[in-house]
Amino acid sequence: MASRVLLGLLGVVLLAWPLFVNEPFLAHIGTLVLLYCIGAASLHLILRTGHLSLGHAAFLGLGGYTSALLTTRLGWPFVPAFLASGLVPAAVALIVGPILLRLRGVYFVLITFTLGEVVRLIFNDWQSLTGGADGIFRIPPPHPLLVDKRAYYYFALAMATVCVGIVARILASQTGRYVDAIRESDRLAQSSGVPVLRFKVMVFSIACGLVGLQGSLLAHFITFVAPGAYSFNESLNLLVMNVIGGMGGLTGPLIGAAFLTALPEFLRGWVELQRLLYGVVLIVVMLFVPGGLMEVGKRTLALLRPGARRVA
Amino acid sequence: MSVNLLVPILFTGVSLSAIYILVALGFTLVFGIMRVVNFAHGEFAMMGGFALLFLLDRLALPYWVALPLAAVLVGTVSLLPERLVFRRLYAQELPSMIAALGLSVALAEGAVILFEVHERALPSAFSGLIHIGGFTFPEDRLVVVAIALAALGGFWLFTRIGLALRTVAQDREIAEAQGIDTRATYRITFFLATMLAALGGALFAQIYALSPYMGSVPLMKAFIIVIIGGLGSVPGAALGGVLLGMSESFLNTFYGASVAQFASFGAIILLLVLRPWGLLGRPEG
Repeated sequence: MASRVLLGLLGVVLLAWPLFVNEPFLAHIGTLVLLYCIGAASLHLILRTGHLSLGHAAFLGLGGYTSALLTTRLGWPFVPAFLASGLVPAAVALIVGPILLRLRGVYFVLITFTLGEVVRLIFNDWQSLTGGADGIFRIPPPHPLLVDKRAYYYFALAMATVCVGIVARILASQTGRYVDAIRESDRLAQSSGVPVLRFKVMVFSIACGLVGLQGSLLAHFITFVAPGAYSFNESLNLLVMNVIGGMGGLTGPLIGAAFLTALPEFLRGWVELQRLLYGVVLIVVMLFVPGGLMEVGKRTLALLRPGARRVA
Repeated sequence: MSVNLLVPILFTGVSLSAIYILVALGFTLVFGIMRVVNFAHGEFAMMGGFALLFLLDRLALPYWVALPLAAVLVGTVSLLPERLVFRRLYAQELPSMIAALGLSVALAEGAVILFEVHERALPSAFSGLIHIGGFTFPEDRLVVVAIALAALGGFWLFTRIGLALRTVAQDREIAEAQGIDTRATYRITFFLATMLAALGGALFAQIYALSPYMGSVPLMKAFIIVIIGGLGSVPGAALGGVLLGMSESFLNTFYGASVAQFASFGAIILLLVLRPWGLLGRPEG
């Protein structure tokens, strides 16, 4: 009941945000937060299978470049290009997934890290297709009306709701329970009749498709793509959103996305200090609150409630 | 292929291999003994470069004093993050790795604030050329090779004595029951690892350039080498270093840098898929 009320409140705030603040800069930040919610939630889906990917930005980039190339070079309209920008990364994930997802723990981290670097190098070196280090400019908006920042905000809100909704629906379904079983013990899940690799590949592919959609929406929003935007730092960023927000549930990455996207925009004047803090916060979270901001919230609530048992 | 072409390529290969092995050894040690994938390893290499610059430039120490001192200095400083960050996370692979990522960002950005972001050159201690049998070798590269080989030799001697390290790596509880101070062992391992990284980084900065973000290159090389040789395997790091150094030297000369890069990535993806424990590592139970 309480969570329904909270969800409703959140909905009202999100809908009213650009009307209240009435400033293009804040609508701009709001849009970025919404788009990163898609990426962070999709990575959460992979993390829930027990795999830590450090190459998620590669699929973000695949989506961005697909959409950019189809609309600027081939003159496709937005809608089919947008759909393709989800299908291409999903298809790539479907091909490499069965190979990657056999690896566990550190080895999966290392191979996704390498894969991310390879894809970034391809963006950078395949000049005739991708425009090299300069990238692709003047990507048209999805619709002439969406040039307006506030209009794009509502578009992003709708898209983010659908994408995050898909993730939430998957996690709440039978598949979600399989995913949790695989994370806790893949051998036990396997012997209980769960086709482990098939589910992992399916979830991985869906997650990569979703982040590809974010890539497309982001590319059409900022109107250009370049290899630098899909480097290791971006993969790390998506991971850190999950870590800082909390990896226990879907709320964590959403809070993390809001936190890590909005904060740097407001701290533009202290870029160096802000990056330093980013590193320090990551260490502190890992050492003291591995559950992230979600855990901080829970602990604070527990302290505020008199007589309640302390959450350990 | 003529000898005239082959000798310089082999020489470049040897000097690259030597530096790469220095950096990779520390990386593989920390993983082998503490189960930590130290993403901040490249930043310790970067700190080695800046420490050397400081000692040469500000204190005007002679090169032969400054270089080992820089390595020891960074090794000593690294005991602080060892105590504050890593000690609580040993043997927890994923949390320690995320903390190491945080440390890597913090150290690199700290260096940006302290030293500014631009690239600079280390004052060259040796700039002459040496002629041996009709071939010309730049003196500074020869020095780099000599230092790296000496350090590796010293390391080899040390590990022969340091059986305790391997005992702790195999079974911490049993090692403790046998009276081995595991905390001290971890401290020594971390000190040694960052010292080697700093030495490698200082030599690296001498050949290329010094900048706060330079750490990502040695880290990447260490990654590749350690995956080729086997995470946690010391002989594997040596083998991987030679393979990477030589193949880079050859591919760079004949096909260019980006082909060399793709080839090394291709090789490690293949290895991770077929033999994730590397050429000389052991599969985990």
